[in-house]
Amino acid sequence: MKTLLVTGVAGLVAALAITIPGALAGTAATPGVTKTSVTIGTTMPITGPANFYASIGAGMRAYFSYINARKAKSDGKRGVYGRQIVFKVEDDGYNPVNTLQKTRKLVEQDHVLAMVGGLGTEAQLAVRGYLNQQKVPQIYVSTGSTQFGAEHKQFPWSIGWQPDYLQEGIALGKYIRGRNANAKVAVLYQDDQYGKDLLGGFRKTAGRMITATESYPVGSTAVSSQVARLRASGADTFLIIAIPGPTITALVTAYRIGWRPTLLVNSVGATDVWITAAQNSAGSPEAVNGIVTTTYLKDPAQPNYQKDPQVKFYKALMAKYLPNANVNNSQYYYGMAKAADFVQALYRAGKSPTRASLIRAVDNLTYKSPWVLPGANISTSPRSPFPMKYQKYARYNNGSYTEFGAMQKIR
Amino acid sequence: MTVIAFTWGEFFQQVVFGLAVGAVYASLALALVIIYRTTRVLNFAQGEMAMFTTYIAWALMTHHGFSFWPAFFLTIAIAFALGAGIERVVIRPFEGGSPLTLILVTIALFVIFNGLAAWIWTPEQRVFPSPFSAKSFTVAGVAISRQDVGVIVVTLITVVVLWAFFRFTKLGLGMRAAALGPEPSRLLGVRVPWMFALGWGFASALGAVSGMMVAPSLFLSPTMMQVVLIYSFAAAVLGGIESPAGAVLGGLLLGLGTTLLGRYVDVVGTELELPVAFGILVLVLILRPGGLVGRAAVRRV
Amino acid sequence: MRIAARALVYAAILAVIVVLPHFLGAFRTRELAYVGVYAIALLGLNVLTGFAGQISLGHGAFMALGAYTTAILSVNHGVNELATIPLGGLVAGVAGFLFGFPALRLAGVYLALATFGLAVVVPALAQRFDTFTGGQAGLLLPLPTSPASRLTPETWLYYVTWAIAVVLFAAAILLLRGKTGRALRGIRENELAAVSSGISLARYKTLAFGVSAFYAGIAGSIFAILNSFVNPLAFPIDLSILLLIGLVVGGVGSLLAVLAGAAFVHYIPLEVGSIPARAIDFAQKLGIPVSDLDPTTPGVPSVFYGAILLLIVIVAPQGVAGLLRQLGALTKRVYSRPIPVEARVTPSRRDA
Repeated sequence: MKTLLVTGVAGLVAALAITIPGALAGTAATPGVTKTSVTIGTTMPITGPANFYASIGAGMRAYFSYINARKAKSDGKRGVYGRQIVFKVEDDGYNPVNTLQKTRKLVEQDHVLAMVGGLGTEAQLAVRGYLNQQKVPQIYVSTGSTQFGAEHKQFPWSIGWQPDYLQEGIALGKYIRGRNANAKVAVLYQDDQYGKDLLGGFRKTAGRMITATESYPVGSTAVSSQVARLRASGADTFLIIAIPGPTITALVTAYRIGWRPTLLVNSVGATDVWITAAQNSAGSPEAVNGIVTTTYLKDPAQPNYQKDPQVKFYKALMAKYLPNANVNNSQYYYGMAKAADFVQALYRAGKSPTRASLIRAVDNLTYKSPWVLPGANISTSPRSPFPMKYQKYARYNNGSYTEFGAMQKIR
Repeated sequence: MTVIAFTWGEFFQQVVFGLAVGAVYASLALALVIIYRTTRVLNFAQGEMAMFTTYIAWALMTHHGFSFWPAFFLTIAIAFALGAGIERVVIRPFEGGSPLTLILVTIALFVIFNGLAAWIWTPEQRVFPSPFSAKSFTVAGVAISRQDVGVIVVTLITVVVLWAFFRFTKLGLGMRAAALGPEPSRLLGVRVPWMFALGWGFASALGAVSGMMVAPSLFLSPTMMQVVLIYSFAAAVLGGIESPAGAVLGGLLLGLGTTLLGRYVDVVGTELELPVAFGILVLVLILRPGGLVGRAAVRRV
Repeated sequence: MRIAARALVYAAILAVIVVLPHFLGAFRTRELAYVGVYAIALLGLNVLTGFAGQISLGHGAFMALGAYTTAILSVNHGVNELATIPLGGLVAGVAGFLFGFPALRLAGVYLALATFGLAVVVPALAQRFDTFTGGQAGLLLPLPTSPASRLTPETWLYYVTWAIAVVLFAAAILLLRGKTGRALRGIRENELAAVSSGISLARYKTLAFGVSAFYAGIAGSIFAILNSFVNPLAFPIDLSILLLIGLVVGGVGSLLAVLAGAAFVHYIPLEVGSIPARAIDFAQKLGIPVSDLDPTTPGVPSVFYGAILLLIVIVAPQGVAGLLRQLGALTKRVYSRPIPVEARVTPSRRDA
């Protein structure tokens, strides 16, 4: 009996403890915007099978820190129009259900102005419906999923950033078709929207050349059986559509079983750092030399960009804000480039930005970004909600990538 | 069920690969069995402890200039001490208590080791050096990975050494006695609590071997051993949770089986490897509730 | 008198549940709906593991079955979401019941590992048979709507969830009182003895599995509706383990146990990231010199979480419910006459 009373009291106390803080929290007029700050949020896989992407969030944060510290040339104020950018990063572990929970928390508890750069195709697709229902901008998602640009009319608050996977697949298909029309291509792809998206693009231009496809489940790096089966299909070309972990395993396994195909690796898994790791693990540059991929940003690890002022600026920011990080990991660069585009859009959203003015600014952002390939720019319009429209081929040889071929306008 | 392009050469390659994978499961499964036999604890943290000690090996090699084999043996010694210490300090107070509580304690250990590894060394994936040359043997025109053969050999040696220890030394005898009957052993002068600690020590050392053998292929990261642990549980149960021989057998069979099924049977493909492994496990358990080698407690009621 | 007092307290708790949304915003209300979901799942787990003593490491799988039933029916066949909830429970319940048969041959560790296998297999199957299940991409359910204009969707779902929870709680009490409860407890204490006293293992074990899975299936269905989304990653092994942790942390056998466990299961994974920051804040306020630890460093939250788990096991081995029971016993001692030493009854692992 007494236990029950204690239960009741405990329950009441707990209820009050939950209630009172919530009841006291107020809401700002425009969520996320005060006189001195702008709050934005993102979800990143800080833990879990995709945790190497956490460096993107770190890169973004470093750039925002720079903006918050420097005095703008236009008005001499720090931050954007004197407002400090508060960047809230939540961990979703690459699990869309967590993405939902954390996104809701950022929108309903932290009252962010917008979600910027959220990572993961499935993750961001899972929250797209919710964010559009709540009219919260979902800006520059960190995924090349074509759906964000293609379905911008149905989901006007959501927009992508990097060249989409469909186009990348098409480009890789064009490349191999142009190089060797009789090539036999085996494909390893991640079994989700991202993998299928890219494969779909590749099929459009080189579908007839595919001899076998194998998939692997998200989160796994065990792809050896798949590689063995792909090799057994008699292919002489190997297309890898995977995130870095399984990409490395695939490259190393292929090498170990004596397979020496022409290698095509999608941009998601092709970052130098990982290719170098694959080379070290396989014990021979033969395992990775000749990899062809697509690129759309300057690569800070490439020798010919070492004198480029933007790359130098990038390295300076890294030295200041992320001194222990690997400067050659171009994912940090990716994060900064994205953050820079966001800051441009934020300025254009006006001195009193709202969610609506922000998404309008993003929808119309066109400027010459110093971060992208020389000769390319950022160009967005409501009719063409694909900010990045240019990419180039790049080939890996003896430790680094070199771009080749003409700049391709893909949208 | 279609079989894709079969060649004997490749089959042999897959067998060797499957046995190497199986060897990793076998050593971790053996660790689980040793702990279960001596202290009746299902150690959920076995994989994370293995991962943690593998990081120690990595740190010895990368930051302290050790070469592989010295780091290997030093890590085994450290793992041994760590395992014994954990048993003494964390597990001992809960021994004999509710199995649910013990499960929670090992889960807590899992979480802590995982967190510690990510904290100390960051979650970035790292390359773990292999002591075996990356080149392959060529046997009858087929490329056999030196790495795979090396893993099999090292695991076999480890298991045999351990077996010899249990079979031929007084301490080994003492441990076996303590596992079978703590009370009579105590009366006979066996220091039973020490035997428990030693059991955990050996298990932890085995885990370290497992981790160091698999790290070159899986790449070192805090989540490296999580899937391996799942397979090792299956292997341990497959062989009979109290049978060391069963654990090794189970591990090798599971590694071989999943590799060959994944490669040659279309329907299984690779997404279903894990479910198929467990499906087979449940089937075996229904037919032989004590596992392949173990003896089921007579429960015919 | 006792029954009346008990009823009074239950009524009070019910009143609190009904009234809470008025004081809370939409966000917190939805959070409490999730707590309700886990409460239902833990009620089920209580029956199987708490009462019948069968350790299940696979309850996430039963939740998945319920969730996917709801998702498939509402997305692919247009069935009203709420109507699918009992179906989700049924599907999971049947699966649990069927699982009970092979489980009869297994005991202890082997059973635990078989249920573990279930937790591993079900999400993989969901991924493989992607024509129904949407595979990795999963299924997007329609965003929740409320039938009454005065009720927000969150509040509506909150009431639906807790109404179901209350009904299921009452059902559990009825089930566990009397013959079934005694039979299950008998099996937990000593299977051999139970069988010799005429208890049919087959009947009660499969019943326990079936009922427990039914509850988890219902929880899963509501979970899918709350998320408006299912995919295989939503039901990892971690979920099954978390449910078991919730059972141990909450304790077994009482309403409070279930509520405390459910709150733990929902809030801890969400808040674990900020625990280190708050702990450091707290320590600094107390003047303890805590070094300049960056609480967002990966790994730190996990270490804190693991340490908290250990602390809970040390301080409250019977869970929160057990702790409060002891507190209750303490207050009793303070207020009643001192009992002679010989007559003192030592507390045992009995349920409330």
